[in-house]
Amino acid sequence: MNTLDIKGLRLRLPNTARPVLDGVDLTVGAGETVALVGESGSGKTLTSRTVLRLLPRGAVAEGTVAVAGDDVLAMDARQLRTLRTRTAAMVFQDPRAAINPLRRIGDFLTESMRLNRIMTASAAEARAVELLDAVGLPAGTLHRYPGQLSGGMLQRVMIAAALMGDPALLLADEPTTALDVTTQAEVVALLTDLRQRFGTGLLFVTHDLGLAAAISDRVYVMYAGRVAETGPAEELFARPRHPYTAALLGSTPSPSSEGPPPRRLAAIDGQPPDLREELTGCAFAARCAFATDLCGREAPSATPAPGVPAHRAACHHSDALAGSRLEGKSVDA
Amino acid sequence: MPDNLLEVAGLCRAFGDVKAVDDVSFTLASGGSLGIVGESGSGKTTTARIVVGLERADAGTVHVQGRDRTGAARGRAARLARARQVQMVFQDPFLSLDPRTSVEAVLRETLKLHFPGTDHAARIRRLLDQVGLGTRAADARPRELSGGQRQRVAIARALAVEPAILVLDEAVAALDVSVQAQILNLLADIREQTAVGYLFITHDLGVVRVVTDEVIVMRHGRVVEAGGTADVLARPSHPYTRLLLDSVPRPGWDPHAIATARRAL
Amino acid sequence: MTMTLVRRPGLARVRTKRAPLYVISAGFVGLVVLVALLAPWIAPHDPNAVELGNALAPPSGDHLLGVDSAGRDTLSRIVEGARTSLLGPLGVVVFSTVLGAAVGVAAGWRGGWLDSVLSRGSELALAFPGLLLAILFVAVYGEGLMAPVVALAIAYFPYVSRLTRSLVLAERERPYVAAYQVQGHSDLQICVRHVVPNIAPVVLAQSTVNFGYALIDLAGLSFLGLGVPALTPDWGRMVFDGKSAIQSGYPLSAIVPCVVIVLTVVAFNVVGERWADKVAGRNR
Repeated sequence: MNTLDIKGLRLRLPNTARPVLDGVDLTVGAGETVALVGESGSGKTLTSRTVLRLLPRGAVAEGTVAVAGDDVLAMDARQLRTLRTRTAAMVFQDPRAAINPLRRIGDFLTESMRLNRIMTASAAEARAVELLDAVGLPAGTLHRYPGQLSGGMLQRVMIAAALMGDPALLLADEPTTALDVTTQAEVVALLTDLRQRFGTGLLFVTHDLGLAAAISDRVYVMYAGRVAETGPAEELFARPRHPYTAALLGSTPSPSSEGPPPRRLAAIDGQPPDLREELTGCAFAARCAFATDLCGREAPSATPAPGVPAHRAACHHSDALAGSRLEGKSVDA
Repeated sequence: MPDNLLEVAGLCRAFGDVKAVDDVSFTLASGGSLGIVGESGSGKTTTARIVVGLERADAGTVHVQGRDRTGAARGRAARLARARQVQMVFQDPFLSLDPRTSVEAVLRETLKLHFPGTDHAARIRRLLDQVGLGTRAADARPRELSGGQRQRVAIARALAVEPAILVLDEAVAALDVSVQAQILNLLADIREQTAVGYLFITHDLGVVRVVTDEVIVMRHGRVVEAGGTADVLARPSHPYTRLLLDSVPRPGWDPHAIATARRAL
Repeated sequence: MTMTLVRRPGLARVRTKRAPLYVISAGFVGLVVLVALLAPWIAPHDPNAVELGNALAPPSGDHLLGVDSAGRDTLSRIVEGARTSLLGPLGVVVFSTVLGAAVGVAAGWRGGWLDSVLSRGSELALAFPGLLLAILFVAVYGEGLMAPVVALAIAYFPYVSRLTRSLVLAERERPYVAAYQVQGHSDLQICVRHVVPNIAPVVLAQSTVNFGYALIDLAGLSFLGLGVPALTPDWGRMVFDGKSAIQSGYPLSAIVPCVVIVLTVVAFNVVGERWADKVAGRNR
């Protein structure tokens, strides 16, 4: 059984012409790290929040979102509380915004365990000390206030808090975006350690393709509320089968590529489709170099790559892309 | 006419006990592009704000085209002359534009101040065209524009003054990767068309590689390494620069080794 | 944001999220203003015409809200009284807003010693009870609307200046202000053209709330017999005039102006709070 199993998730918001999430299929196996990559507005954050049923006001969801076999969308209030405190936990992007600045770290860590009577106060405190140690912070941190800790330390506290209920699934929404690069490495090292130690499934939401490639087993690339491409991380980055993935790779400036730097990057012209306009055909067609009449008419369904069934792309022209990165095409101007 | 567009020497600035900028010196050649790289708290933004004139230095000098701009500007003429030396593009395109002012009004206001009595309508069209915005965007207010479009407006506003130097403070950090690439390409085009020099403040080494010729790396307010961008990125001599480079995630990346190296430093 | 606007929690707690209350209040405010503007044409009787034989008459077809103890038509006096009763608070609000905004912008924008002097100065004015100041002014300058209006304006301006100062402090930290500075615009230009218009809606919302308070303060002064001359129709004055009739068992001529005052004050408060909420939640 998968830790997380999303099938045909469709999410509608009020005053929009098309669903913000349009038929998302996604799985996270036990102890697996899966990256969910996309730009702002792609629906990656909404997808991860739907797993805890943290939906925006007026949102209507269809499909199934099963965490450890139970459908989140069908849960009653009590089951939902158990889900959020025990089965799944979330690490947010900005730890400073997600922790009440007036409460001690100890309160923050033990609060939900105490209030939901999962553990006694002393057991919760013992567990908090143990987890602070696991994330590399001294036990004395319990008595400090959020304002006394750096951003990197606070994010460790967030991770410790997420692990308090010993969850089967950890959702990390851009957990390193607000941090410096060197701190990011530490937090990622910590997350991978903890995953091995506790066997937690990890859904890592990020806009950073390099980071996704570096840490995950499998990757999902989202565009305009749909999964554009999914597959094993190495395979997907070496031989992308969706023009959007290829273009994203081409537009990411790398500090360490061989040869002289490109004078121009392979930027993707235009903007993602507006939520107020309906979509016919492929969502990426308007910005795509490979687009034909067919793309404007018919939305492509996910088809597996020859020989690699786990690598699927929703594109009519996957084979024309021939697995090449677009970066090679960016010529010096 | 001196060769260097910008000369910064011995810049210091302390906030209380913290030395935000500690004896920083660098030069920017005519038409050149210099990157200042560092993490938060490295002093890179304070350095930029001193160069622009938004912050005062405790010690040190800033010369643009041989003219000193260290002290406060006195009077309208001096203020305008300074504005034509250095312009700035800010990090957050959502906050750096007045929410009530339309794109056209933003540009017109600047043109009126610096070039009274010229044909503003034509110049506004040219500016919008230069930054890749249609004339349709002219009437829009900031909230009707995407992040990338707003950053284009901010660049157009800076270019309207026809500055000698453009300071870009994390100008693409808040943008999506694909939009970031559009803006970086735009900046490359502008550099080819005009003689403007860039001072590019960023934490992103990939961005530095694309837009700068030379780079200085700052840490705790001090310059730890300086040199040609390609050189520094290919053969970093300071362990901190090496750590920064290693920290950029890529396939086969080892975060544990970086964490260890960081603690050792 | 609402917090800075809350001065008298009893009224401020009237929650304004529900639209019907706001619509009714806005409608009432509009009605009162319209009545004040058209008073001479819509008042059924001369408000000062005395029919002694008819004194304390109950409501009838001719006198819809009855007659007071001096034999004057209550409805006509309410209609005519809307003019003085609204003009006074309007004066208070205009004076206090202009003065308070000027002081607040100067203190917040310049900072330093000017901020200290101005802030301490307004705190001093804040410490002095407004009504007492008004009574003092009336005692010195005699009867008339001007003295209490000026006194209340002085008593009210610190609330406006304090709010304006805090808004200016927040606004000047926004990067767009730095952007204009870099462009070579003078501080005065930036302040007048960009900062002031951006904070104006919040200040004006506070002033609308102040309007209600000024109305009730002025009515209180009239009730004490201070301010408006004896014969001028004024709601506060009407309550005072009707007070003795209550003791003789005819409460109507005092209750009607009371109700009108309360409704008007509440309506202005609801509208002001609602505007403040709207402005505060505005997507920038």
